[in-house]
Amino acid sequence: MEIFQLFIAAIFVNNIVLAQYLGNCPYLGCSKEKGVALGMGGAVIFVIIVSTLCTWIIQKHVLVPYGLGYLQTIVFILVIASLVQFVEMFLKKMVPPLYAALGIFLPLITTNCAVMGVTILVQREEYDLMTSLLYGLASGMGFTLALLFMAGIRERLDTCRLPKALAGTPIALIMAGLMSLAFMGFKGMAQ
Amino acid sequence: MGDIVRMIVVLSALCGLSGFALSYLKMVTASGIEEQVLTYVQGPAIHRVFTGLDNNPIADRKTFALPDGREVRVFPARRGGLLVGVAIEDKGKGYGGDVGFMVGFNVSDDTLAGIGATELKETPGLGMRIAEPAFSGQFVGKTLPVALKAQGGSIDAVSGATISSTGAVTAVNNAAAVYTALKPEILKTWGK
Amino acid sequence: MSVMHEFTKGLWQDLPPFRLVLGLCPTLAVTNSANNGLGMGAAVIFVLVLSNMLISMVRGIIPKKVRIACFIVIAASLVVAVELLMQAYAYPLYQQLGIFVPLIVVNCIILARAEAFAAKNGVAASVADGLGIGLGYTLSLTFLGSLREILGNGTWFGAPVMWEGFEPFRIMVQAPGAFICLGLILAGMNVINVWQARRKGLREPDPVGCGGCGCCSLDKKD
Repeated sequence: MEIFQLFIAAIFVNNIVLAQYLGNCPYLGCSKEKGVALGMGGAVIFVIIVSTLCTWIIQKHVLVPYGLGYLQTIVFILVIASLVQFVEMFLKKMVPPLYAALGIFLPLITTNCAVMGVTILVQREEYDLMTSLLYGLASGMGFTLALLFMAGIRERLDTCRLPKALAGTPIALIMAGLMSLAFMGFKGMAQ
Repeated sequence: MGDIVRMIVVLSALCGLSGFALSYLKMVTASGIEEQVLTYVQGPAIHRVFTGLDNNPIADRKTFALPDGREVRVFPARRGGLLVGVAIEDKGKGYGGDVGFMVGFNVSDDTLAGIGATELKETPGLGMRIAEPAFSGQFVGKTLPVALKAQGGSIDAVSGATISSTGAVTAVNNAAAVYTALKPEILKTWGK
Repeated sequence: MSVMHEFTKGLWQDLPPFRLVLGLCPTLAVTNSANNGLGMGAAVIFVLVLSNMLISMVRGIIPKKVRIACFIVIAASLVVAVELLMQAYAYPLYQQLGIFVPLIVVNCIILARAEAFAAKNGVAASVADGLGIGLGYTLSLTFLGSLREILGNGTWFGAPVMWEGFEPFRIMVQAPGAFICLGLILAGMNVINVWQARRKGLREPDPVGCGGCGCCSLDKKD
């Protein structure tokens, strides 16, 4: 029950983009078409889960036992960066269909703070491995959901007549604000 | 081939250098960080337990060694120049990891002066309620050791959060054991 | 291209969050008070100036293929240094900024300036660039933070500034307020840009938009 609550809360209540302010660059940059949004979302889910797994193991079995907790930031970013490279090579060789779908998004993910943010968050909250992975999955799904909603709205906005000053990023940000307002309605649903 | 060697050399030199620089910086800042954490995490907890003190318990703290070799920090609380109590921090196992409490003891009659949470990762709205006065206020004036009502003691557990409540009680009793072991030395150090 | 020019361009012409639309996550996340905005900006100045300096110093010996990895190592080390210093000298700020301190390392501004400027220019120019961009970033964050704190809390740097009986718009210090405020500021920037261009008789510029960071442009990297 506890786990289920955490899962739902991570998608809706503490949505990673709309409530935790993580991953805003791709949220605004990759939300122009639904197809692109879906691809980016899929790649983010995948990378979050793999990197949560690796960083969790490193944190608990290398950094903490040797008292190197203060190097967390530098170790995590290096792990994520090399992991992304490795996943890209692996998918290219072994799973070409998946590579065709996600490949172009992978290099962009290293600097996506949603990935780094989730790996640090699960350490600060001291989740166990299973909970961390589930939290990662839920956060990735929350990211994809927000991205898809935004893409849907922006596809329609394209055909609207907007004041010139608002076109592009400004209106996207204001839409994000309204969406975040709507997501605040989930507060209290799960604590 | 030479290219690859150069890449590896540059990267490892860079990592090594930054590692050295950072471990040096860590050494330099360690005492500063400890002081800041004590002031902003332990400090407020001590002041929730003891009010109207005329000393700074953080600055006056001393480290004592227990018979088993463990070292603990003890924070003295003075009013009107007299030692009225001491605060000792200890931990118990909660639902979401360790629960840490700063536990205050009255030195005159060995009762609890109160407890203040320092480290909590419990479920919000449930286990987190062990930090609220409704639960933590129950400890004021209790004699040692304490126990939950279910175990024949006098502390009401937060409903739905037995594990967290047990963790708090364990933390208090752990601190109490430390206090009992150190009491003669504490009185010798800070006077009556 | 004088050193002075490199410094001043960051203050208006290339103002990071409002003109280049870079480094949005911390811009939105930590600006719920003017003080937090200022603190975050100071941390970014520290990292940006030193990373620009170090990178322009070692740019000659870094092989091209691993340059991004080297930039990341340098930036990450500096971020760890900031974390340690902040814990030792400004613990409340460290608690307030939370995970956004370590996340400075993935702030696009750092890598973007390293790649676009420090890797190609001398030490003095790079330091000036870092200082200018960092200062611009700090000012923008403080501005946004002030706006949100005044409207959402009725205070500025913790001191009450609004009239008696002012009912604060609580929403401004929460997530929706951050998005809407930034959106309106960007729209305002667009209006100013167009007005300036018209006055000088130039072509109307493109509206500001995301894309400067390259984290979303779908070109494959080399």
